[in-house]
Amino acid sequence: MRPFAAGAPAYQRLPRIYWALIALVLAGTIAAPQFRTASNIANILEQSGTLAVLAIGQAFVIAGGMIDLSVGQLVGLITVLSCMLFEAYPSMTLPVVAGCLGLAALVGLLNGELINRLRMSPLILTFGMLSVLQGCIFMLTDRSIGQAAPSVAFLSNGRLAGIPVSLFLVAAVAIVAYYALQRSVFGWHLLAMGNSADSSRKAGLNLAALTRIAFLVSGLCAGVAGLLVAGRLGTGFPNAGNGLELDAIVAVVLGGTPLKGGRVSVVGILGAVLFLGVLNNLLNLLQVPAFTQIVVKGAIVILAILADRPGRLAQAA
Amino acid sequence: MSAAPSSHQAALRLPSLDRAAVWIVLVVLLLLAGLASDAFFKLNYLTNLVRQAAPIGIAAVGVTFVMLLRGVDLSVGAVVSMSAVVCAIVMDGKPGNLWLGIAAAAACGAAIGAANGLLIAFGKVSAFILTLGMSIVVYGLVQMGTGGTARGIVSPGFREVLNGRIGGVLPVLVICLLVAVAIGIFLQSRTRFGRSVYLIGANPEAARLAGLPVNRITVIAYAVSGFFAGLGGLALLARTGVSGTNPGAGMEFDVLAAVVLGGTTFAGGRGGVGGTFAGVLVLFIALNLANVAGLPFAAQLTIKGLIIIAASAAHSWIGRRASGRTQQ
Amino acid sequence: MRKKLLTMMAATMVAGFATSASIAQDMDLTKKETYDQIMTWANEPLDTSKYKKDGDLTIGVSAGYLSNAWINFTGQAIKYEASLHPEIKEVKITDAAFNPTKQAADIEDLLTSGVDAILFWPVDEKAILPVLKKAHDQGVVTINIGYNYMHDDAVTSNAYVNQWTYAEQVATNFAKSLDGKGKVVAMLPIAGSSAAVVQLAVLQEVLKGYPEMELISSEYGDWDRAKAKQLTENLLQRFPQIDGAFSPAGQMSMGIYEAFDEAGRLDELTLSPGDDYNGWTKLVAKEGKWGSVTSGLEVGREAVKQAVKILTGQPTTTAVVVPTRYLEPAEAAKLHEADRPDDWFKTDLPAEFLPQ
Repeated sequence: MRPFAAGAPAYQRLPRIYWALIALVLAGTIAAPQFRTASNIANILEQSGTLAVLAIGQAFVIAGGMIDLSVGQLVGLITVLSCMLFEAYPSMTLPVVAGCLGLAALVGLLNGELINRLRMSPLILTFGMLSVLQGCIFMLTDRSIGQAAPSVAFLSNGRLAGIPVSLFLVAAVAIVAYYALQRSVFGWHLLAMGNSADSSRKAGLNLAALTRIAFLVSGLCAGVAGLLVAGRLGTGFPNAGNGLELDAIVAVVLGGTPLKGGRVSVVGILGAVLFLGVLNNLLNLLQVPAFTQIVVKGAIVILAILADRPGRLAQAA
Repeated sequence: MSAAPSSHQAALRLPSLDRAAVWIVLVVLLLLAGLASDAFFKLNYLTNLVRQAAPIGIAAVGVTFVMLLRGVDLSVGAVVSMSAVVCAIVMDGKPGNLWLGIAAAAACGAAIGAANGLLIAFGKVSAFILTLGMSIVVYGLVQMGTGGTARGIVSPGFREVLNGRIGGVLPVLVICLLVAVAIGIFLQSRTRFGRSVYLIGANPEAARLAGLPVNRITVIAYAVSGFFAGLGGLALLARTGVSGTNPGAGMEFDVLAAVVLGGTTFAGGRGGVGGTFAGVLVLFIALNLANVAGLPFAAQLTIKGLIIIAASAAHSWIGRRASGRTQQ
Repeated sequence: MRKKLLTMMAATMVAGFATSASIAQDMDLTKKETYDQIMTWANEPLDTSKYKKDGDLTIGVSAGYLSNAWINFTGQAIKYEASLHPEIKEVKITDAAFNPTKQAADIEDLLTSGVDAILFWPVDEKAILPVLKKAHDQGVVTINIGYNYMHDDAVTSNAYVNQWTYAEQVATNFAKSLDGKGKVVAMLPIAGSSAAVVQLAVLQEVLKGYPEMELISSEYGDWDRAKAKQLTENLLQRFPQIDGAFSPAGQMSMGIYEAFDEAGRLDELTLSPGDDYNGWTKLVAKEGKWGSVTSGLEVGREAVKQAVKILTGQPTTTAVVVPTRYLEPAEAAKLHEADRPDDWFKTDLPAEFLPQ
């Protein structure tokens, strides 16, 4: 079923970020000789997996006109918890994975419930939750702990015929998200809520349920991202999630999804994630000094939201 | 006695209840803390507590204005760091540079604040994300400028004077905090700027239609926030000397918790510097209590988060009840 | 459905809390025997023949962080030492800013851009192992720099400062300066860090020999002068008598000093030897007491020398250990540079290699 009306994000052209990505790739190929080797490209794809999953989860929340700032610390919590459990129960990998994903989804659900019941702005609620979760992590451990299960490590670091295994996972998540957000009634309702909560409520949509589901998905994606990080690091590092929520939001906005919601493009988000991955890679390959890299990162955040203007993106479509 | 007058009285009482709430919490908390450890009843300990709170308190005065406007300033931590570093470098250990260093720090803060304000007002972007991005840029610039080590030497006398106590009892930094609060209260209630901030925060559309210069007020408010953050950086420098390039890291959480506790929530239009001052005290007593009670450092993070959530919810609940009644 | 999810969540968290207590450390950092074992490993000869390369060398540096003065000076020392070796053509530096995921990406990018050796200090020793294995498999020499010895196949060598000996020098001279009597507090680095664990263990070990000394509180100042000052202010309120403060990190010692000074109780205080942090040595010069133990700043230069030796096939030991020395107050005072900021270390780096 093809939804129509203001919420339908059927872009006729490639999202703008892809032009930036192509330009960056061309510049990179010229400036850094090792950039276009197969192993480097595979590296970039592998390094970008976590952000891709996290940004897709965040897209559900942003599409509905909300925001989830707690995902970074939730990733950290899942990374630590999963590694602790993997090490303690090495033969129970699958139940541990299931349990951690369930926990992540539950935290997301909790966020949604609190927003509904306390009638609080998602911004503040998830901002406070960020601190709460960070405290939880440090009550579990103050140093790296545990050991990732070999299968999870393979998921994050392994290659099949040169292609990173995590890429398949990301692709699967992206396809499901695409259908849920851009090709289903649920997505249509979610975008309507993002467009105008008042009109949606008057039209009879169940905003509370939409909120709950959006945050549940965001939490679940944070759980998946947490497992990917655990595999990448091989151990549960408590600060592993610091700042990831900002990265995810930037990726969503750079990909052409406005922060106030109402429209979404999964393809755009993937393009933005690739853009950021290529950028970080080039900054290292070109030996840009460390402190300059920090300024560049902050500038990208600012530029991303300055470019997030409703008029300009509508013109692109 | 009919029902209408008493509910009218209730409507008048609720906003004052809202403002008084944080002071009530402060007194109750102080009593509880005193039960846990009688150190809390000693004047020296309390004045020292307030002195520790001075940098955050001063910065919170500025952030109050931004939040009254329905905005937020998350760059305060980075601006505090930058101002401390800039001040020390400009002072360069020379007594003659004392006021130059102070002026430079305040100017830096105001400049970053103004930049924030301009981008937010004219770019019409999310203040949250923008000030977060700005904090990264500012931190990076400080690292680039110093090569990663804290340069600069404080002018002689700066630290001694600011860390001293008048009459052996009242710390100079506490006086600085009180002066900052006084200036803030003056700004919010006796200037057109302050009154405009409240009006815009309460109803931005109406304010714009009424002809208020919303963009200009926004820029000024953020510049004020940056200015006070710069002063907060000076207070931090006085307390800690030159000891690193990011002394203000993470301060934005404390500042935000204090402001929200004091009654100025993200909804804007209500609250004020007086409440923020009380909020700062409540926050520091709570955190000190956690320390004395032997709670791990991690618990403090959770407490800050819970405070932000609970205080926001409570204040907006009171706010909804108040406006609900007056709409009868 | 919700009940099932709730129980799963509860079970997961309970399992998490339960297991946190039982996870064992790989190396017991609180025992002297561990460090004796490390020194034995360090002194074994290293077979460098398989790493030998001809031609120009490229050195990669993966900094876990660059945001404190000691680390900064170490980084500069590496650049300086590299400039003294004509066979080193280039030094590539990356900074992970305390982010282990970024450090993994940094090292992968260093490998892509072609390096012969990677000198590093990890954000986290365990988290860096997967990517170090990749480097090792590609035949790249990996050298860990700092206070934590990494004993793993993926780590070719260590440039090491022995933390136990360092802390021991501080603690024994501290006890002597108090004539073996008094109530003391300990100001330790970041809770859970190996430095904090070792320093506390050494202090307790040394105190066993001085029954008239008592450790009344340990605080974690995170190497932060301001935090140390705040914690000390709280301590001064709680305890009417504090005779000494054990604080090997000079930066934190300054915070302790200021707190005592402002409380008017400076006469009570005997501080332990600190390190060679300029702010601390200035204080030593001013007060004329409380010495220093050198912090092993030369470790960066030693790492580069070790890398060159390995890559040119010369004989060397498995690890190069930089010794630390106790300095009497008079000697320690000589280390201070009055016209330099507190956040500084005295080194023999030429002007163009100092941090800018």
